[in-house]
This record gives sequence, C-alpha cells and structure tokens, in this order.
Amino acid sequence: MSAANFVQLLLSGLAMGAIYALTATGLFIAHLATTRLNFGQGDFLMFAAYLSMALLLAGVPVLLVMVVVLVVLALMGWGLERFAIRPLDRMRALVGGQYSWVLTTMGVALIIQNVVTLLWGKSSQYSPPLFSANRQNVVQVFGAGVFVEELLVIVAALAVILLFYALLYRTRQGRAIYAVAFSPDTAALLGIDVRRTVVLVFVMASVLAAISGVLVGPIVTVQPHMGLVFTVKAFAVASLGGFANPLGVLVGAILFGVAESFSNYVNSAFGDLYPLLLVMALLVIKPSGLFGEAKTDVR
Amino acid sequence: MIALEKVCAGIDRVQILRDVDISVEPGKLVLVLGANGAGKTTLLRVISGLVPLWSGNLLFDSKSIAGQPAHELARSGLVHVPQGRQIIPTLTVEENLVIGASHLPGITQETIARRLEAEYERFPVLKTRRSLAGGSLSGGEQQMLAVSRGLMMAPKLLMLDEPSLGLAPQMVQRILGALAGLARSGISVLLVEQKTMALEIADHAYVLKNGAIVHSAAASDIVDHTELFRHYMS
Repeated sequence: MSAANFVQLLLSGLAMGAIYALTATGLFIAHLATTRLNFGQGDFLMFAAYLSMALLLAGVPVLLVMVVVLVVLALMGWGLERFAIRPLDRMRALVGGQYSWVLTTMGVALIIQNVVTLLWGKSSQYSPPLFSANRQNVVQVFGAGVFVEELLVIVAALAVILLFYALLYRTRQGRAIYAVAFSPDTAALLGIDVRRTVVLVFVMASVLAAISGVLVGPIVTVQPHMGLVFTVKAFAVASLGGFANPLGVLVGAILFGVAESFSNYVNSAFGDLYPLLLVMALLVIKPSGLFGEAKTDVR
Repeated sequence: MIALEKVCAGIDRVQILRDVDISVEPGKLVLVLGANGAGKTTLLRVISGLVPLWSGNLLFDSKSIAGQPAHELARSGLVHVPQGRQIIPTLTVEENLVIGASHLPGITQETIARRLEAEYERFPVLKTRRSLAGGSLSGGEQQMLAVSRGLMMAPKLLMLDEPSLGLAPQMVQRILGALAGLARSGISVLLVEQKTMALEIADHAYVLKNGAIVHSAAASDIVDHTELFRHYMS
C-alpha cells in the first residue's frame, strides 16, 4: 500500500467514522433517557439523504436545504415518539409488552423505505456535493488526492458532536436528560418536565440522523435500503460506548470507520464484515464498552 | 398548607391508602409513623403527584392539586425528598444542588447563587465536597445533599421519606435538628418515618397502619404512650 493510498483510506475512514458517531449518538441519547431507541435511525438518515438530494437537485441553496431537512426530521422525531412509542407506554400498564417499541419503530422504518421507493425509485443515485461545485473537487494531502467533500464532512460532523456534548454536559437541558436517565420520578420531583425531555431526546436523535444523512449523501450512493446498514453499524458503535459513554461512542465510531475503510481495501467483497467481528471480539473482552467505567459515563 | 381529605390510592389495581385524612399547618413539623409496607412512601408519592389519586381530595395552599403533574407541583413549592436520597451519582454535588432550582420559573442566577451559599452554610461539608460526584458521598452526606437540594427549590412544604434510613444515630440527630430549624423558620415539614426518634421534634404525629390512619395526636402526647405505639407499629 502506498502512502497516498494510506492517507486516502484513513481520511475516508475518518469521514464515515464521524458519520457513524453522529448516528450512534442519536441511538445513545434516546436510549439513555428512555431505555428505548429508534430501530429506524438508519432509515431516518436515508430519508434525510434523499430529501437533501432532491432539494439540492432542484437548485435550493445548501444552507436552506440543511434547515429544511433538520426541521422535517425534527418533526419526524417528534411524531415517532408521539405515535409509535408513547401510546405503547399507556398500553403497557394494561396489557404488558415492554419491547413493543422495537416493532413499531421498525414498522416506521419500513414505511419510510417504501415511501422513498415510491417517490424516488429503487435505483442507487448520486447526491450532488454540498461544499463543492462538482464531484471532482480534490485537494492534495500528503501526496494523496482527497475529496474536499470528505474533509468537510469530518470537520462538520465533529463540530456537531462537540456542540452536542457541550449541550449535554453544560446546559440545564443536558442535566435534565441526566436526571431523567437516572430516574424519571426523581427528575419530576426536581421540577423537570419528563415528557418534554423524552420528546426532546427523540427530536435530538432524529436531528442527528438528519445531519448524518445530509453529510453522507454526497460521499456514498443513495438508495432506499441503505438505512439498515447504518442502523446496524450505529448499534455496534453505540455498544462500544456501552450505550452510556459518549466518549466511547465517538472513539468507537472513529475506530470503526477507519477499520472499515482499510478492510474494504483489503477485501472488497466482505469488507463490511471484519469491523463488526472486531466489535464483537471487543465486547467479549470488555462488555461495558471501551471506557465502560470512566468518569464520562452518564449512568 | 397541605390537607388530605379521605384520600384513597393504590398502585396498579391494588389499593394501598384508605380514607387518609392528614393536614399540615404552616410552619409545623408533622410526622407520619408506620411500619414497613404501611403505605408511607405511597402517601408521599400521591401528594407529590407521582401516584394518581383514586378518590378524595388534596389541597395545597387551599387549592385542589389532584391530577396536577408532579413537576408542576414541585415548581410550585411542594418539594418531596424521596426515599434513598436519589442523588444523581454522576453529577457533582453542586450540580445536584442547582438542578431542581434551575427549573423554577423565572429564577435568576443571583437567586440560585444566594441559596447555594445558604445551603453551604447549613451543611458546610457540602461546600468542601462541591465538585465531587454526588455518588461518592457517604450516606449521611447524601442525605444532607438531598435535603439541601430540596431547600434550593424554596419549598412551602418539604416532604421527606425516611431520611434516617441507614444513617448513624448521630447523623440522624443532625438531620432532624436541621428539619426542626426549618419548621421554626416557617416551612411546613411532613416527615414519614419508621423510627420514633423524630417524635422529639414533631408538633403532631399520625400513625399509619395498613394504609389507614389509626392514631392522630400531638407529638408530646404520644411520647408517653410508647406501649400503645408499639402495638400500632407491630
């Protein structure tokens, strides 16, 4: 492998890793506060990628596209909690069924897949780049030709993650999420509106999927069934953070993305398999995740 | 301050409280004594809105509060310090103190800072531990933190669920001393306990047995009737 090759693989690995970090953080935050999550997280990402592609192709300016996709996905996150998750809690008191949300969120994912297929067709498509005029915008990094798009995806995704951590660790709302994660009853006794906080985490999860979708569109091919792969990988990455440690999610995602990039270079047929095997092996050795007992742990 | 009128409530379909009448006047410390399983925790959870009322009425500041969500009641001055202190282990002592107060409507940073100083004065050990994780404190320190966290919300009524649980007698005396001081300063206190130590500081005491009030008297009268009391607690 040449040095140029190495840099290229490393950077595309970092770009995908940053995307996985965003998607997995969405799973993590919803699970933290509610012990539930969206099994269609990857399909929310897919929908965001399609929506942004359609708007970009229609000539809508990039900033406006981002705003529209964020707002639409935020509403979808709200709707998911309101119609696919909350009614189940009411039913549970009467008829039981602690894990019904797995089915309903997967059901929503199937609906989204089919709506997207109806609207945009089954075939793979290429989304226009966000930050450059065309797909040939390449800069030289250590002698390697690297897409500007990929570099900016890394920067944007990491910026969003840092912003998210600041929100979680430094604001009143973030501490309210901690309190709800610890105990909804205790949170309510501290004057925290638990229901609002639950809605908020699902909206946040959905917005994170939206950002991932907008960013990932131009660096992969977009097709209606791409979502499940992202859900599975985000799950693997969130497990590396023990579903409790945001730093573990971030580091795990970066490692996963880079591992995947190199494994696809070595074996393009089964490249996606090896990083997942790696995660399984890691979880066997350390079931609590990379930094399971560290101080950044929220529970 | 708070009055319960013929309150019935339960969890799932099992009735726990039966026609409970309790009232706490402003600035008084009222004690509810009961054995394990008598319904003490449910009683407080019904008042603070965590467990729905089946029938009867709840009056807070002479307004009915039945059916109001718990977080709204907490913001309006009905503060419940739950059993087992429920300190959020990964937040620091200071973050734990501030979290409740920060959700009060219209509160300013200055007010929070002022109350924080007052609590550090009440329990100086909290100040020395202010930047440690709440989970690293001892049981007694956590109980002080729980009481202070409640007081940060400027309660009109402070309800405490067995604050003496798992604490050394010395530490219990210290917590009870602080509660007596609160009542003197005009805050109503409703304390539920299994142990009788708190009778010394209470104005009035009720005995709860199998979800019903079986005895109600001025605390000073009960002290002389330990025999009767032992009967109810068995």
